[in-house]
Amino acid sequence: MKKTLLILTALLTAGAAQAQKLVIKGSDTLGAKLVPMLAEEYKAKNPGVSFEIAAEGSTTGIAAIIDGTAQIGMSSRRAKATEMSAAQAKGVNMKPTIVAYDGIAVVVSASNPVSTLTKRQVEQIFAGDITDWSAVGGNPGKISIYTRNTSSGTYSDFKDLAMNKRDYTSSSQKMAGNEQIVAEVAKNPNGIGYCGLAYINEPGMKVVSIEGTLPAKETVLAKKYPYARPTFYYTNGEPTGEAAKFLEFTLSDEGQAIAGKIGFVPVR
Amino acid sequence: MSKHLFKRLALIGSALLLAAGLRAQDSGPLIDLLVKKGMLTDQEAEQVRAELVKDFAANSAAGKLNLSSAISEFKISGDLRMRHQIETQAPAVASGPVLVTNERVRERFRFRLNGDVALQKGWTAGFALETGQAADSGNQTFAAANDDYSIYLARAYIGWQPNRNWALVFGKQKNPLYTTDLRWDADINPQGVSEIYKYFLSGKDTFEIRALQDIMEDRTEKTAGPGGRDAWLFEQQAVYTHWFGPSNLNSIVLAPGYAAYNQSGIDAATNENAFNGSTRAQNYLTFGGEVNWANVAGAGSAFKLYWDSSYNLLAGTRAYKVYGVDSTKWSKGAEAWLAGIGYSQGTGKVQGDYSLKLDYRRIGLAAVDPNTSDSDFAFGKLCQQGWKFSSSYNLTDFCNLNLTYFYTTAMQKNLTYTLANIDHSQLLQIDLVAKF
Repeated sequence: MKKTLLILTALLTAGAAQAQKLVIKGSDTLGAKLVPMLAEEYKAKNPGVSFEIAAEGSTTGIAAIIDGTAQIGMSSRRAKATEMSAAQAKGVNMKPTIVAYDGIAVVVSASNPVSTLTKRQVEQIFAGDITDWSAVGGNPGKISIYTRNTSSGTYSDFKDLAMNKRDYTSSSQKMAGNEQIVAEVAKNPNGIGYCGLAYINEPGMKVVSIEGTLPAKETVLAKKYPYARPTFYYTNGEPTGEAAKFLEFTLSDEGQAIAGKIGFVPVR
Repeated sequence: MSKHLFKRLALIGSALLLAAGLRAQDSGPLIDLLVKKGMLTDQEAEQVRAELVKDFAANSAAGKLNLSSAISEFKISGDLRMRHQIETQAPAVASGPVLVTNERVRERFRFRLNGDVALQKGWTAGFALETGQAADSGNQTFAAANDDYSIYLARAYIGWQPNRNWALVFGKQKNPLYTTDLRWDADINPQGVSEIYKYFLSGKDTFEIRALQDIMEDRTEKTAGPGGRDAWLFEQQAVYTHWFGPSNLNSIVLAPGYAAYNQSGIDAATNENAFNGSTRAQNYLTFGGEVNWANVAGAGSAFKLYWDSSYNLLAGTRAYKVYGVDSTKWSKGAEAWLAGIGYSQGTGKVQGDYSLKLDYRRIGLAAVDPNTSDSDFAFGKLCQQGWKFSSSYNLTDFCNLNLTYFYTTAMQKNLTYTLANIDHSQLLQIDLVAKF
């Protein structure tokens, strides 16, 4: 009897420990820097909580909420109608919460003389209509284009915001994350890519202004920068338990200060 | 959420739903404007957006579709035709008067479903399904005690238009040539490759070069000689279109061309009057065209003069060596021609529109390819002459009532060769067509 009670207690304890684990999946933009840093701070205040964070693109975050394999889905884009439809079919109520603002910065090598582009030029470059830097005032040279992969929210957001929903040129190279794009652009004098605001201070590259506007806290909040966007946590309805507490922490002054420190634009 | 806020969101959400007719995408700018005016916060706007998308996904067909991002347009179209058909065929006899006339009445239908996709960068693709297997007909006859009917793939193509001048299409496709039904049955979808180069002249005038490489038969290459060659029909045309008259609404089209087969054979054609045998000695000079006069009897009316012709440079070989007709008795029939007039009111897309056409044609024995020519005129038989009258009336914008009548007689009496063995014929078709 004593032994049985011991086993039951152990199982219950293990169960309780399991309940403290917060699974967060999705956007690389949010999940590579911001959310891990928020998680560290949160853990410091709540020692019993552990995190599993997988940053493999917004599509995976939304899918994880639909499948019930994560409590929070990070996304740098809005859920599509087909995803909403799939969620409804499974009885999942997709709820977006804006956790920070971001601007998709267009970046080139620091050695590139081009420092400003028009929206039309950006569309033409990424769609493959313009293939040489000399066409936009740069030194002659074939433009190398770096984009995110297709599961990325930034990939589809950029198509919507900057490319009139056109397809990327077939010669574009698809990268797994913002860091990879930034690293490639820094290495390649003819490179161009895009990344979230959290990645624009890397060495070897520079941000190009769009129609004379650079992505910054003020231009993003005022919606003057054309490629500004909100970033989200998706949950199944109103979050509960640890997910609700973590969301609250993210939106708290402390959480938003962390977002601002990393390079995101706080929601207030 | 406070009661006041909830009420505000509900009110705005309802207004957006009504305003956008359940189309979430259309509401985006309106939501953005409400945010800009300070009536909604970004977070409230996201909640409204999410509700709209959920509603769109749940209550609209479009919301349930998951189309590739490469698609810029996906068009689904088709038609359904119910036909009452009365036929009389008098078989040719070797000598003496024709005593037998075969009569038949059939109730028929044709269903066609087209899917045409516009992709990025000038690419297109598509398919068409229809109820008939023969190249020259999609019809099925109501028969067999309510048995069901098969569906066949009538088109499957990929197209590429790199610029406004060039258009290339690969696969089984709509006929890219300028034609009448003298040489090409309207139901035939050629298979192979086609190229069109369009040169833009002054005003609306154009000059086009059109070419088709149509693979008619696939043969086993291990067989020596012509029997081991795939059968190809190579046809090319120049098409000149000139606009003239008040406001440049009248037009003239001139389309000379040349068509030839390589030396091979057809094995399994199932047309109305199919010829399964050698493809040799088919080198056709062609010339088609039309003149259109607009607004001849008030706005929307039009009068048309049209023609087509074909001359087989190797008609003798075709008639006497390939078909095996006796050269001492029968003419080779190198020429075919058609001339017709038409009158129309409207474009045929609006209720009350109508059109009338009448043409006369003569088709020599070796003047056209029976595997591509019209299956209804003399039931596809060669060496025939006669009339075709067709009319169409739009009962609604999408539904037509058509009447077509053919009357033909043999150009050479008592010729009983299989491809030409009709003395005279009549065909009446009354169609109800619904397009979607």
